[in-house]
Amino acid sequence: MQNTWLITGPPGCGKTTWIRDCFLKHQGTCAYLRLSGSEQEGLEQGPNAGIDSAWLQDQIPELLDVATTADAPPPTDTRLLLIEVQQFQPPTISGPDGIDPHVLRQLERFNLRPDRTLHFGLDPELPHEDVLDFKRLESWHRNLQGCVWDPNSLSSFWFELVNGAYGDVYRAKALMNLPDGRSFLCNWMVSQQSSQFLPLEAVEPPAGRPNRTSHLVVQGRALDPAGIQSTIDDCLFTDDVLELHQAPLRDRQHALQSNG
Amino acid sequence: MTMSHAVISCLHANLAACEAVLADIDQQGIDTITCLGDLVGYGPQPNEVIELIRERSIPTCQGCWDEDIIDGLNACECSYPSQLAERRGHRAHHWAAERITENNKAFLASLPMTLRRDRLLFVHGSPNSQHEYLLPDMNAFAALERVETAGAETLFCGHTHQPYVRELSEGSIRVSVQKNGNHSDSEQEMTLPMRRIVNAGSVGEPRHGSTKATYVVHDDDSGAVSVREVEYDVSKTCRAIIEAGLPEVFAWRLSHGFEYAERAEDASHVCER
Repeated sequence: MQNTWLITGPPGCGKTTWIRDCFLKHQGTCAYLRLSGSEQEGLEQGPNAGIDSAWLQDQIPELLDVATTADAPPPTDTRLLLIEVQQFQPPTISGPDGIDPHVLRQLERFNLRPDRTLHFGLDPELPHEDVLDFKRLESWHRNLQGCVWDPNSLSSFWFELVNGAYGDVYRAKALMNLPDGRSFLCNWMVSQQSSQFLPLEAVEPPAGRPNRTSHLVVQGRALDPAGIQSTIDDCLFTDDVLELHQAPLRDRQHALQSNG
Repeated sequence: MTMSHAVISCLHANLAACEAVLADIDQQGIDTITCLGDLVGYGPQPNEVIELIRERSIPTCQGCWDEDIIDGLNACECSYPSQLAERRGHRAHHWAAERITENNKAFLASLPMTLRRDRLLFVHGSPNSQHEYLLPDMNAFAALERVETAGAETLFCGHTHQPYVRELSEGSIRVSVQKNGNHSDSEQEMTLPMRRIVNAGSVGEPRHGSTKATYVVHDDDSGAVSVREVEYDVSKTCRAIIEAGLPEVFAWRLSHGFEYAERAEDASHVCER
């Protein structure tokens, strides 16, 4: 059985979603690795900042993230290792021989050699409709670990972000914390009609700032980082305001536990 | 000759929009204009807009932004749907409060809450408060109550930034009275005459799916109301917003026909001050 696959494709084509669906269907060990793709003229890669890994880990709790484990799990008949790479252009040669040298070097560090390579927009096995051909792409990101959003402000900010208030945004992806302990994967691609707001399964207690991955990555053209930054700052709760929101939630939880 | 008058509202310091609307009114030969307030707030030319209204001696009632400039920000946080909207609103308030001249502030302070002409009543939000929204889909009884208790046949309002004409017909009130020592109720039903609410929309900050400024024209003889849309140089105001140092996102929102800050979720809520 072939079980180490390299999945490549341009931003927003649905790589992570497809990988998640594969894992959910797979009976056996699931392992994941995210590698950085090659920069190209005018096309910034931008960091993924652990967003995909954190999302997949939430959806498949037993998932092994090869990047954070000392060794990749040994190949077995029931192990499926999916390696994700953002790659703007399809490989000129299909199969392992067409792997980008930059990716190949990273694979060697993990002692991995994919036995199957699939590129979005090239391989008919993969969904096709969202593949865009990018000519120029800037990237901006912000680590939001420990940050908690006012939910309505997040909604306004995201609306403005994906509708062009801060430049031509083609792709936006984030994990965002709310005061009630939930975290959402916010996901938008210019070719899609609307954003996805997917709640993580794991909910933290509403007690202070969560300590999990939270990050925003934006890709597009003529981005306005100062504008994005300034609006984000207006949306995030201070410690005092966060406590004002969380204290009643804790009281309600305690009351439910006492009554239960 | 029919007698028409124009009703304008929510100018929001947008001089280009005000000039375009007044030019449109002049072109129709209408010389009676009533303004429902919110001369200032968010936009870049508060003094210029106030002075234009003063020069033209347009009878004006006080809007919620006009009131806040005089009284300070004392609305509860429910006025804003989000922390982001609140911070932007406060930033816009402080920007305007620092720039509006004392003379113009005195003018805003002098504005009445309501204006009345026979059975026509003019308010910014509702007869109860400049901050209350009379939304087009609000409960019919509540809407009728606002008009009837104010003793009006037609109530002109703004504040929602969405123009509409709502006819409140076939309204009736059934009253059941039980007298002392008498177990049978006496019932009375009163049929109410038709009442109307006319929302003038917004000159300076439209929110009806278009960037065009809106206002209404009322024919005093027939009672007919028409909503007018007027194109203006939106980019000129957007440039002025940026040059004034107001948040650039205000220009983006205006150029897309979005309000500077969204309305609170429970728009019918009125601040308890």
